[in-house]
Amino acid sequence: MTSRRTFTAAGILVLAAAVAFVVYTVFGGKVSDSSVEAGFARDMSSHHRQAVEMSFIIRDRTDDEDVRRLAYDIATSQSAQIGMMTAWLDAWGLPHVDPAGRMRWMSGHPGHTTVAPGAPMPGMATDAQLKELRAAHGRAAEILFLKLMIAHHQGGVDMARAAVDRAKEPEVQRLARTMVNGQRSEIELMNGMLAEREKQQG
Amino acid sequence: MSKGARNRTTKTGDGGSAKTAKSGKSAKSGTAAKSTAGKSALGGGGGKGRGRASRGVGLPQERNWGSYIFYGVISLIAVAAIAFAAIQANKPPIDGLEEFGDLKQGHTTSPVKYAQTPPVGGDHDPTWQNCGVYDKQLRNENAVHSLEHGAVWITYRPGLPAAQLNKLKQIVQSNDYTLLSPYPGLDSPIVLSAWGSQLKLDDASDPRVNEFLKMFVQGKQTPEPGALCSEGKATP
Repeated sequence: MTSRRTFTAAGILVLAAAVAFVVYTVFGGKVSDSSVEAGFARDMSSHHRQAVEMSFIIRDRTDDEDVRRLAYDIATSQSAQIGMMTAWLDAWGLPHVDPAGRMRWMSGHPGHTTVAPGAPMPGMATDAQLKELRAAHGRAAEILFLKLMIAHHQGGVDMARAAVDRAKEPEVQRLARTMVNGQRSEIELMNGMLAEREKQQG
Repeated sequence: MSKGARNRTTKTGDGGSAKTAKSGKSAKSGTAAKSTAGKSALGGGGGKGRGRASRGVGLPQERNWGSYIFYGVISLIAVAAIAFAAIQANKPPIDGLEEFGDLKQGHTTSPVKYAQTPPVGGDHDPTWQNCGVYDKQLRNENAVHSLEHGAVWITYRPGLPAAQLNKLKQIVQSNDYTLLSPYPGLDSPIVLSAWGSQLKLDDASDPRVNEFLKMFVQGKQTPEPGALCSEGKATP
């Protein structure tokens, strides 16, 4: 009778394990493809990549130490943040793009709707503006860079605020909050630098 | 649960040897299946043994049918569940996908002869092609470097209907790490390429376009994760 009970217990165990395995296979992974977390990680990575690109451009276009240091700061910190967000998507086992459209996770957030297919995200510079930046040099390049980066940061702060309001994952919340604070203070810094340079130019 | 079902044999790449895709997960489920089969055989044997013994002590023989059914049902459910999981883990990622292994990653400014058209990997130019929309043919050697950075290269046969071309342009403008360029002489109207993988399509609105992007844009195949797709070569 003992062996019969053992067999019964073993049978139930196998059954439970099988059910758990199927449930895990089908529903496993806690962050979904359409979540705020995944959308934020993808779209903010894309947004950051352009800031990194603009920062490298301006470092080649001016010798001004203050602007070059600011650009270095933006390029290195935002590259590292892209790495963090990329690692989240990999850990969650989610794609790095959402072909169904950018910014869908922000729909319903005050002042925001889904970005039309092919349209840039808020604050992003156009290809023409980047071309202009590549062609400029010295003070003119600095002024253009500061204007483009202020707008870029404003778009970034809005997007990060949406993640602070809606994300449930604590690591996403935390990084988004540091982006809101960090980029806000950089906007203030850049506004000052811009005013200074525009005054000099007369 | 045969070897054939578990393993996906892939096509020969430019290096010559075929690669076999076998994930740790599938290997595990294979082992699990074997051990379950062993267990159920033991269970059956045990039942029979008891059956004979019970005749000796004079217990009614019908009582054993319950345990046969009980273990039978459990074994069936377990085998079905494991088979389901194995199928889930091994289903071909995308219908019609071709995979190639043993791709070299060297840098060279000389022209490279690639085994696939368009190429899916191999030695390449030191400068990657910037991601984006191009209306002229790209140099293979630059585009292959972008594939190494995790990009998906969408190529089309010149003469693709305007509506389809616009759809492809919109896809590339909306998704980072994608390139679009014409490619004369393709053997299907549209070909999607990533490092080591390729998919041939007839229509830009095929749902497999999105499946391919989701799987391969900065996907697991990327030899240089984190590398950018900008500030490289900006013209065809």
